[in-house]
Amino acid sequence: MTPNSVSVERSTGDRVEARRDGGHVVYYACKYTPVELLAGFGARSELAEADVSSFDEADRLAHPNLCGYGKGLIERLLRDDVREVVLITCCDVIKRAYDVLREQGDFDFIYLLDLPHKRGEAERRLFRARLADLADRYAEYSGRSFDVGAALAAFEPPVRSTGDHVTLLGAHATRALLDNVGEGVGYPVENGTCTERHLLVTPPPELARAASEGDCSACGDDAGAGVGRAGGTLDTFLDWYAGALLNQMPCMRMDDVSQRAKLHGGKGQRGVIYHTMKFCDYYGFEYALATKEEDLPMVKIETDGTSQSLGQLRTRLEAFGETLHGADVAREAAGSREGLGRGYVMGVDSGSTSTDAAIMDERGNLVATVILPTGAKATESARRAKAEVLEKAGLREEDMALKVSTGYGRDNIPDMDTAITEITCHAKGAHFLMPEARTIIDIGGQDSKVIHLDDRGNVLNFVMNDKCAAGTGRFMEMMARTLEMSLEDFCRTGLEWKHEVKISSMCTVFAESEVVSLVAEDTPTPDIIHGLCESVARKTATLARRVNGEAPYLMTGGVANNAGVVQALTNVLGAPVATHEDSQLCGAIGAALLGLESLQQG
Amino acid sequence: MAGRSLGDSVIGWYGDVAARGLDSHPDAVRHWLMAGFRLMARKSQFAPDGRFLPSGRRGYALFMRSMVDAMADPDNSVLTSVFMPTESLRALGLKPVTSEAIASFVSGAQAEGAFLGCAEGAGIPETYCSYHRALMGMAESGVLRPRRLLASTSVACDANNLSFKSLARRWGAQSAYVDVPYDVTRDGIAYVADQLRDVTHQAEDIFGRSLDESLLRQMVARSLATQDALEATLPHRGERYLANTMTLDMMEMLDLHLLLGTDEALGLARGMGDDLARQPAYDGAKLVWAHVSPYFLGSIGSLVDCSQTAQVVAGDMMFDCLTPPEGRLYDETHPFEAMAERVVRNCFNGPATRRAQTLVRLAERTGADGAVVFCHWGCKETSGAAQLIRGRLEGAGFPTLVLDGDAVDRANCMEGQMSTRFSAFLELLQERKGRVHDSQ
Repeated sequence: MTPNSVSVERSTGDRVEARRDGGHVVYYACKYTPVELLAGFGARSELAEADVSSFDEADRLAHPNLCGYGKGLIERLLRDDVREVVLITCCDVIKRAYDVLREQGDFDFIYLLDLPHKRGEAERRLFRARLADLADRYAEYSGRSFDVGAALAAFEPPVRSTGDHVTLLGAHATRALLDNVGEGVGYPVENGTCTERHLLVTPPPELARAASEGDCSACGDDAGAGVGRAGGTLDTFLDWYAGALLNQMPCMRMDDVSQRAKLHGGKGQRGVIYHTMKFCDYYGFEYALATKEEDLPMVKIETDGTSQSLGQLRTRLEAFGETLHGADVAREAAGSREGLGRGYVMGVDSGSTSTDAAIMDERGNLVATVILPTGAKATESARRAKAEVLEKAGLREEDMALKVSTGYGRDNIPDMDTAITEITCHAKGAHFLMPEARTIIDIGGQDSKVIHLDDRGNVLNFVMNDKCAAGTGRFMEMMARTLEMSLEDFCRTGLEWKHEVKISSMCTVFAESEVVSLVAEDTPTPDIIHGLCESVARKTATLARRVNGEAPYLMTGGVANNAGVVQALTNVLGAPVATHEDSQLCGAIGAALLGLESLQQG
Repeated sequence: MAGRSLGDSVIGWYGDVAARGLDSHPDAVRHWLMAGFRLMARKSQFAPDGRFLPSGRRGYALFMRSMVDAMADPDNSVLTSVFMPTESLRALGLKPVTSEAIASFVSGAQAEGAFLGCAEGAGIPETYCSYHRALMGMAESGVLRPRRLLASTSVACDANNLSFKSLARRWGAQSAYVDVPYDVTRDGIAYVADQLRDVTHQAEDIFGRSLDESLLRQMVARSLATQDALEATLPHRGERYLANTMTLDMMEMLDLHLLLGTDEALGLARGMGDDLARQPAYDGAKLVWAHVSPYFLGSIGSLVDCSQTAQVVAGDMMFDCLTPPEGRLYDETHPFEAMAERVVRNCFNGPATRRAQTLVRLAERTGADGAVVFCHWGCKETSGAAQLIRGRLEGAGFPTLVLDGDAVDRANCMEGQMSTRFSAFLELLQERKGRVHDSQ
């Protein structure tokens, strides 16, 4: 073992003494951390949650292009309360986080345990030797002997959920994310993420006997050692433990991950949610493969590893929950309103740029619709939209058998009966407007989504881009502003293009820089706009491929009014992309329709 | 971005033609790309770039020829990662080709965007290393033909662990993964050597060939001699005009990995030494470069390519293992151990401090004026270490620029900002150099 792999630092004898009295707490980040071994030395291991408020220090000391968990880990472990750290060479980011922590931190004990990528006998031997080295170092640092009883007491028996549940797989999940998933999807959550221990075996009886007989070091070669490895007991423990730890349910960084197939389709599992982060690529890969090979409801979510990014997940999680529960939500609401109203239903879609409302009669005929700008106060706009659509229909609120809200502001509209995500509503509304459509491309003000439908308007799969302005209406607005044009002029001018111009970036900031360069080169404005439309179309077509989108296509959302984008999408997808004059009402119509269906079924 | 040359426009058109046919005619796109690569290979042989030294022309031609050979003959080609020791595969008559070389080929043709889009459409994360995204896109589109064996190491990149397995699954091929321990120990080297033996046996089975161990020993002896010859060029690199470009440096780096153990690679390293000894002295700014480079960005290249004011004198990709002969544990008499030692000692393996030490040593040996740490998109190993490396280099007296960008995907490069920062850094070095001259 070289000095590179281990650092045992005793700043002062007093501090070590203080740790002994106050109890040892080892912070860790990986499910391969030998928490039971450390428990044998009296240390409590604590998973570093890394739910931090900013990445400023990590960005400064490392780089912004690391995964959120790695950056959060740097921030968290550099706080004063962390004195002992054991990390694993589990992925590129954790290795680099360790480098930064060793360089910058002031720890009593910090150790990097090298984990093999394979799980054969050679690897088990190597891993055992490395665990023994950690044990030696920790014993030397803490001045404690190994107690096999304490190590065995730290084992948690491997028990999997069998009742109805969803499984969260992928990158580390904070407590807040687990709660969010449970609330959003409406099922208990089984945590199978990369930091969650998943041992497949329990300690053999011989070890338990050794524990009950007390420290057997007196019988071993190390008799009288007093402090440290406690000889034979530790060796016997490590002989078994190295294999048990290495052969737990593998994480994706292992070479052979075939065993992970068992994570899909267990008893009671209603669906799987994959948690990914930018610059953590393992689980995006597994998700892509699993969606091709498994017939199980799955969805991928992305966070930056902190609870601050959770708000944007609500729609996706609730939509996934709706697909798992069927139309239960609306049906329950309908049941509670049975016998009320005159058979009309109202749908209200509270979006980022407009608030739309629709009233439908019991035969599914549209009675009235309104579209209002959302403005600064979404709740007030929704109240106005409801009042205006009722007035237009010549009806009163009491005439509504059911009122269903959707869109970003769906939970903040007063006096509605239930809320359904815009994914489900959009699909239903689009099916109403164009029954033959199988793929809906919706590019709105702040997000874009592609929904693949079956022939009854049910969602087969969907994908959303809601994390940045790339490819959205906001992107087009900003580009129009860069070219000092109104959005209307921008759309019209773009149709007059003559020469191909390639805008390679979809990032709003990068693309703006490209547009400025093209302007500086005197590139004709229509050609630049066409290049931007093509760029949006390419990005959107990529999303469509991810959900196995197929013709006929229907485009909805505000960007559907930009004929240049529609034409570019037609070219890229190789099939006509239709639009509909009422496409902006899709969400509100879908909400009303779902309400109507639930009344009829209820 | 401004002012595209005629050459750029022609290549842009060539890449666009390839991109447009990708969905419908992948076979035609492959033929189109190969026709262009063959043309470039011939040009590099019969009408080489007159700016380069003889060794540079040889290195350029060698890269083009080895790539065209490997791409045109997938049945005898093995897809590898860049730090995978390949002497035993070469000894079996196989043609290793790396993801880095393949992706550089398509980005050189300005066709990377279509392949990257293809990969993203298949669900490959957009923050994934763009070398690997381009590779996956080429496989996804059908342009890259299946290989029977893929072999990679865990060094430098988690993406090796994902891309190669995923491609093997797609192609129904075998994949070998060499797990490289973090520390340099005899046990660790023995462990890697055993895995390299396993890969060789696997290749023997798949391709129905037998390894000639004496040939392997010869090849490993040439590898060690190549590394020594390369190391011997370091003092000259700091003193002489190199007549190099970022493109040429990338090609030579790939030659010295893909062809390591061959006469060609040894000839290239020795040729560099001979050429440099005859070159005129150099008085411009001298840079050490960490990681790959955005060779296709004209505004960056124009500042260092065949330039009298600034040149890149050495990089940690080419000089990734600077073990002097007396420091080596194994030689050609233990060929698998010698190959294993090289990969275990590689500066991209182990802690970031090892890489920082390598760069400091390169800067000291060449008398460099400064260093650039290039953070290639999706490379967490380099990005995460960038500030630590900068701190160590600056602590040793070498001003260092951390430059973010992408060596494959033009869309991830903010060229204007990058060239401004790079130019300002060169100005800083030149001013500093001027002050030192004045004080003398």
